[in-house]
Amino acid sequence: MTQRPLSQIRVLDLSRVFAMPFVGAYLADFGADVIKVDTHQVSFMDTSRASGFTGGPFPDNIPGCSYWERGGTFHTLNRGKRSITLDLRSDAAQGLIKDLVRVSDVVLENFTPRVMARFGLDYANLRSVKPDLIMISNTGYGHSGPWSHFGAMASALEPTHGTGAFMSYLMEGPDGTSMPEDVPKKMGNSYTDFLATWTALTAVMAALLRRGRSGLGMWIDLAMYQVGASFVGEGLLDYAYNGRRTRRLGNRHQSMAPHGCYPCSGNDEWVTLAIRDDMDWQAFTGVVAPECAEILDDRFDNALRRLANQDELDRIVGRWTTSRGQYQVMEELQAVGVPAGPVLNARGLLANPHFRSRGFFESVEHPEVTGLGHREYIGRGWKLSANDLRIQAPAPLLGQDNDHCLREVLGLSDRDIARLFSDGVVGSVPEGASVPPVVSLDEQVVLGFIADWDHDYGSR
Amino acid sequence: MQTDTREGILEGVRVLELGSGVSAPFCSKLLADYGADVVKIEPPFVGDTSRRFGPFVGDDPHPDKSIPFLYLNTNKRGISLDVGCMSGRAVFNLLLRTADVLIENYPPTQAQALAFDYQTTTEINPALVHTSITPFGHSGAYRDFEATDIVACAVSGLMYHSGDSDREPLRNALGQSFYVAGANAAAATLAALFQRLTTGQGQHVDVSVAECLTCHLVQAVPYYSYMGAIKGRRAVRGSGFEELLPARDGYVVPSVQGSQPWTVVADLIGLDALNDERFASGAGRIEHGEELKRLLSDGLAQWDRKPLFQASGERRLVFGMAQDAGDLLDCPHLRERNFFVEVEHSVAGRADYPGLGPKISGSEFEICRPAPLLGEHNREILGDELSYTQESLVGLRALAVI
Repeated sequence: MTQRPLSQIRVLDLSRVFAMPFVGAYLADFGADVIKVDTHQVSFMDTSRASGFTGGPFPDNIPGCSYWERGGTFHTLNRGKRSITLDLRSDAAQGLIKDLVRVSDVVLENFTPRVMARFGLDYANLRSVKPDLIMISNTGYGHSGPWSHFGAMASALEPTHGTGAFMSYLMEGPDGTSMPEDVPKKMGNSYTDFLATWTALTAVMAALLRRGRSGLGMWIDLAMYQVGASFVGEGLLDYAYNGRRTRRLGNRHQSMAPHGCYPCSGNDEWVTLAIRDDMDWQAFTGVVAPECAEILDDRFDNALRRLANQDELDRIVGRWTTSRGQYQVMEELQAVGVPAGPVLNARGLLANPHFRSRGFFESVEHPEVTGLGHREYIGRGWKLSANDLRIQAPAPLLGQDNDHCLREVLGLSDRDIARLFSDGVVGSVPEGASVPPVVSLDEQVVLGFIADWDHDYGSR
Repeated sequence: MQTDTREGILEGVRVLELGSGVSAPFCSKLLADYGADVVKIEPPFVGDTSRRFGPFVGDDPHPDKSIPFLYLNTNKRGISLDVGCMSGRAVFNLLLRTADVLIENYPPTQAQALAFDYQTTTEINPALVHTSITPFGHSGAYRDFEATDIVACAVSGLMYHSGDSDREPLRNALGQSFYVAGANAAAATLAALFQRLTTGQGQHVDVSVAECLTCHLVQAVPYYSYMGAIKGRRAVRGSGFEELLPARDGYVVPSVQGSQPWTVVADLIGLDALNDERFASGAGRIEHGEELKRLLSDGLAQWDRKPLFQASGERRLVFGMAQDAGDLLDCPHLRERNFFVEVEHSVAGRADYPGLGPKISGSEFEICRPAPLLGEHNREILGDELSYTQESLVGLRALAVI
């Protein structure tokens, strides 16, 4: 099956870092022709190419002299795209962008509102060259409102849009029972970025559908703050109706007990489980009681009592799980229909039989000049039965498609193209590159950047 | 201006939802919010399971006062229908024939047993886009495993990276794995619909909750596949300043990322000892992390969150602050952007509801309908649209089919 949903669509991806570039990657997976607008000026480059911190890790922690082609996160977010290098700060480049927009369907960007306006590349300008353009402008706070000129980064945005009001550890309260701590916590590293990715992907598809029917384009002002708030909308509505400001339960649940994350036999090894109802409880005790008879105590014999006596119940469950590995707990409980699952890290995921059987991680062959060989990448969370969706190609080398874009897409002559290169509007050799400093993996463990590392990761 | 304010973006797209809980309802809510015609099908008398989940309006556990249900089901019409019995199945097949999309989140074996697996639905309507959302997908080693939000979050790998490195991994209390899956499902469903414009054919969209969340690990996965490193949970001590620190009335993130030099941060917070060369570089802030954290905490103790956040924004810093539901409802920025929409529900009453995440040019988001009462649109859909007579509907009710 070689058909793909977006084979006839061209996307101009002006975006940087995580959220919108990932949208571009999925549009490329869907078969669109996605042109990433890179630049050869390192000071203005997408930080996921230029910065080891953002776009690394590097193979075996070695940046190499062409480090801008070797970052694992960069590759995840930019697979399947073409690369043109245009320095957007020049008038000539801005003119070329408009020429590209004229023959594109979708534009992705995440510059601050001032910057796009200054470049003459905001929606009002671009719509005049392409009236049915679909454009997504992603910012921290949006293009309107009193905070619209504020900068943002996802990790600081997450507590701002309220996720932390619904996430904290539990601690022992003054009367000896558990109560929530008041320090808000976060989901992973930059949760908000991905909420923006899924939201933008939906918006682009809705816009394409509408354009098919009506011929109209669309501008989407995607404020990550507002998107984030819509994902905790259930919690916001509790305040609107009831005046309740937070709901923090640790790893517990308002109605299920036991419910949580329990230690297993290995170091930093955990399993989660949830007893939804009496049927789950019967099945669960059937498995656990032979080794932990105290689970049959009548303090736990119905759901309300289990909720009331959760502290003691969790201690008993924890003693049982500590005697086992995380997969063993999962297998024993799933065998009797009880929800349970190991807390996996990346090592665990890459070796996990379910993810393998789903083909979730996809192997991509890289050009020899990168020194990357074959690497495995995150695929996507869905399958479309009429398509064999997969990553089409590795992320592009810097400027690898300059010639294609200028000559074939825009129809420029040899002389025009040569002029653009000599004027520095387009380039393929980075200017101002400096290899990021290497922090050894052992040192990274000491600093807390990583928890551990395997020398033999390649052979696992 | 070339935008149309009155016609919804997905006008004319007919969606059936056979869902309960969060994932399928959130997916179809997003489609409804974009203007699709969404019909939610609930089991008679008990309805969607989330109707029994709190919190409830006024803490009154009534099936029309469940706050999760109220949020997840705006802009939909609702019918009650038992699709498991023959008579109910006949009604369902009629609805399927004219639907563009079916969204459901039944376990795969149950969907098959009830005969609304894709093989069956595609025979009834080959142009149907049938989206299934399950914890692990319709194939693979864990296909038939049971999961709740915490289990999906754990298996996805995201939970390992949430919380503190010296404590157990932590999850969010608001079922985020199912919200993320619903959002993914909306995008994938629309991609399938877009493809149908050229092929005329439907297809099956198989969404795995755990896998959707795993996609968030764009750093953690390559950390292992490129160099065998395990990224852990946020380090407790001596890290860079993306961590929450206490201010006078709550927590802030005094982030020093972004393009402004350290002196801007130090001057803003106003503690002299912060204006130290040692803190001016990233490496320096890590090396002297403990001391810096103490000094920042001292400095931040003089500030309330919101004035600090405002001042930092004006200086083009990228601070954050911990806000709760009340802060967001009162947020002047969200209000100015018309994020909240007043909704009147006949049983739950009136409240400001959170609206659409993206702001779309030329259209103000509206909640045209509050979440439906159970079977609220039986007469409209089964009677007026499918032409069942009043007598038939009465009969179907007596048989517990609707």
